Amino acid sequence: MPEPRTGVFICNCGTNIAKMIDCDAVAEAASSMPGVVVARSYKYMCSNPGQEMIAQDIGDHGLERVVVAACSPRMHEPTFRRAAETAGLNPYLVEMANIREQCSWVHDDGVAATEKAEDLVRAAVMRVAHHEPLERLSVDMCPNTLVLGGGIAGLTAALELADAGKLVYLVERQPGLGGNVARVDLTAPYLDSARDMLTDRLTRVVEHPDIDVMVSSELVRLDGFVGNFKATIVVHGPEGADEERQVDVGSVIVCTGYREFDASRATHLGYGKLPNVITSFEFERMLRAGRIETKEGRLPQYVSVIHCVGSRSEDFHGYCSRVCCMTALKYAHEVKSALPRSYVSDVYVDMHAFGKGCEDFYRRSAEVKTLFLMYGKGDHPVVRKADPGDDCGMLITVDEQLSGETIELPADLIILMVGMEPREDAEAVTHLVNISQDKDGWFIESHPKLDPVATTTDGVYIAGACQAPKDIPDSVAQARAAAGRILGKISKGKLEIDAMFAEVDEDRCSGCRVCNEICPYSAIEFDAAERRSHVISALCKACGACVATCPSAAIKARHFTDAQIFAEIAGVLG
Amino acid sequence: MAIRANPKLIEELEPYGAEDVMKCYHCGNCSAVCPFSEDPYVFPRKPMRHLQMGLTAKLEGQLDPWLCYYCGECSDQCPRDAEPGETMMSLRRWLTARYDWTGISRLFYRSWRWEFGAIVLVAIITAIAFTLFGMSQGSLADYDGPNAFLPSSAIHIFDWALALVLLAFLVSNAARMWWFTMGRDKTLRMSAGSYLRSLWLLPAHFFSQARYGQCDRKGPWVTHLALMLSYVVMLVLIMFFLAEMASGPEIDWRVHVLGYLATAGLVVSTILFLRNRVKQSAPQYRHSHESDWIFLVLILLVALTGILQHILHRSGLDVAANVTYIVHLSLVVPMLVLEVPFSKWSHLAYRPLAIYLARVRVTALARSRQSAEPARGAEPSTPLRAA
Repeated sequence: MPEPRTGVFICNCGTNIAKMIDCDAVAEAASSMPGVVVARSYKYMCSNPGQEMIAQDIGDHGLERVVVAACSPRMHEPTFRRAAETAGLNPYLVEMANIREQCSWVHDDGVAATEKAEDLVRAAVMRVAHHEPLERLSVDMCPNTLVLGGGIAGLTAALELADAGKLVYLVERQPGLGGNVARVDLTAPYLDSARDMLTDRLTRVVEHPDIDVMVSSELVRLDGFVGNFKATIVVHGPEGADEERQVDVGSVIVCTGYREFDASRATHLGYGKLPNVITSFEFERMLRAGRIETKEGRLPQYVSVIHCVGSRSEDFHGYCSRVCCMTALKYAHEVKSALPRSYVSDVYVDMHAFGKGCEDFYRRSAEVKTLFLMYGKGDHPVVRKADPGDDCGMLITVDEQLSGETIELPADLIILMVGMEPREDAEAVTHLVNISQDKDGWFIESHPKLDPVATTTDGVYIAGACQAPKDIPDSVAQARAAAGRILGKISKGKLEIDAMFAEVDEDRCSGCRVCNEICPYSAIEFDAAERRSHVISALCKACGACVATCPSAAIKARHFTDAQIFAEIAGVLG
Repeated sequence: MAIRANPKLIEELEPYGAEDVMKCYHCGNCSAVCPFSEDPYVFPRKPMRHLQMGLTAKLEGQLDPWLCYYCGECSDQCPRDAEPGETMMSLRRWLTARYDWTGISRLFYRSWRWEFGAIVLVAIITAIAFTLFGMSQGSLADYDGPNAFLPSSAIHIFDWALALVLLAFLVSNAARMWWFTMGRDKTLRMSAGSYLRSLWLLPAHFFSQARYGQCDRKGPWVTHLALMLSYVVMLVLIMFFLAEMASGPEIDWRVHVLGYLATAGLVVSTILFLRNRVKQSAPQYRHSHESDWIFLVLILLVALTGILQHILHRSGLDVAANVTYIVHLSLVVPMLVLEVPFSKWSHLAYRPLAIYLARVRVTALARSRQSAEPARGAEPSTPLRAA
């Protein structure tokens, strides 16, 4: 077989490559490599003239393969593939040799670096000879969306999509919508009513023609892939009358939220033993009922708020639950306003007032004469019943950091700021929708900064406190972000899927199912009747795990064939 | 051993002027900027913390508030407007009330009506008593001589009797101050030697107010020194040379000169202080407690009636001079009886005493540290040094 006509383009990357590598020498060496008909060195290959040079040479020299020796393919492979495409060459017939990150940047011996660059170019030249023209797949995008969870994030996402005219299935496990926000009285730092905020959303969601609300329901199965999911939902009716529904959706937004930390685990705080030690949610209930009182029905003289219960602790959760500090300050305001003669104290570790308006809120809490006592991280306050002669019901002992003294603080009512933790069903959800949990159990986003609402499974998004503790504004922002991402995909109508994916040679497949288990993207399904495995190309990320695992060598990864890899190895070894 | 917090203490301190202390979030800027804040007297932050938490015994035992001269740098630097300078001032008022065993001071500081009422009452009693006394002794038409309305010999005896009573109050209150700050602290190992060796600090700081002079802003110190020295000169003249002052044209020129200087000093310095407080020209003048106004106005009125009385007498208007004398005494007596032991003026005793006790305490602390770590150097560096 004659070698395909290959062009090699060596990028100088300004001086990034040229200062260490003799690019002209590499081009010279490349010109005598198998099949190479043209080899050039140029200052910036990724620039427009650089790309035009490649396109021009493809036409002029009838190139069948292109090798670009430049930066990492993560940086500019799409650029050069597009350049080839404009000249009529299949983009998968382009190969890159990384002579910047893996060569010029990391070496200080110019001669050796130049030799290495030649080896890398030869490897690419020999590999690209074995490339096959590949076609990208295109699939339809179903415009419906499944939203899991009817808290503030789920409600917001559902409304955002439905207002754009798209059908939403809103699935809520509880009998009612609203989530944890429905359990809150006022919100920090502007003290507006959570109920007012929620009522408006709830009414609109329930009445919206494009939102199909299913309460007392749960997702039991999700099949398919991005744009083409099939969701199986069980709607729990009264007296065990369950109904199963199947719906087609293109995307899924997981907004399953959090649950509060069980305060009785922090035994030193006396929750469950001392009746006037209550959790923040129990206090919210008191506020909503409009009367702050002790279990004995008396107005408390000393109200104390203990921060970080279950959070930022070596014994429980190391992370910060983010909303408790401002909620605690909100209590200071609410207690002072309801009981002006009471004394409010905040027993805290650090005051996290990072949000908009929060530092000002902190200042105002000090202005209403809240006593702040700081305890050390890794330490914890201890609550005990007061002695008979005391003018208070309980005493909190705390090693106070700002004075260096051990302080006994009087209290009649103690509010524990219970932190957030992943819901007990979080792990089950990850299996259903094929996403992952971090070490604390929160769902993992695709990229913590640049892709915060997508997950590693295309078409599945996360929003709200299921991803990490967050407040209402952040949850709402994530919900709208996820809805925006989905609307973008829906408006395109079709989804393009990379041409690189694994394929099972079904004649060689023994049906052992090892690949089914190993695939991190759940992209391999098993045909029980034929006893053969099959790759869902839209889900496959071409990681190659199944290729390496298959005991029958029945799986081939497109663009990563054995022949290509062996040729590359032969090339790099000279 | 845990200390019980008392969240109610801040309310007790509010009438003394500590209204903003709860705003403090302990950045420590105040203590960093204070020229006097040095281990073991770290203020204003630490006393503010004790006040926020209501650690009464700790606050009572502190000398720190007396070591602050309220230059106001701390209040300028405070990011939270917690007014550390004014908090220290309030603590001094509160401590004055704590030291005073009669409870009168507490009453005055918490209610200006009580203080003002007491002044008026004492003034009326004084006026009536001296008028009756004068009428029984001599003639209203005579200012001096054998038939004088208020003969200097009688007034002289009265002055000394009053001085002894005031001294008894001051000394007993000062003794309580010592007990709170030093006496009841079992951890301190004080020696009679260290008390004696530092004793010179008392007169040195009383007369020079050298520590005040170490503040970056010198103006208040100069004015304060002028007021204090004028007052001392006047006191010496009255206590020892009253007869020479009251007599006619043959007043000794030295008494004359000193008397004019002292009077001028009193008038000018009180007017300056009053002007500063009215204009709120600096942080330390922004918050004026009622006791501050009463104090300054009383001194100014005493000085002015003294001057008037002198002018009238020298002009031969003896009746008017005698009437003015009665008014003068009606101001002097409440000023001395009420202000010196029970109000702002008591700081004349507590400030030098605090500097003295602070030094003794540092020596004692160094001694106990030394016995704990015998390897360390023998002579402690005393942060609370004399100027």
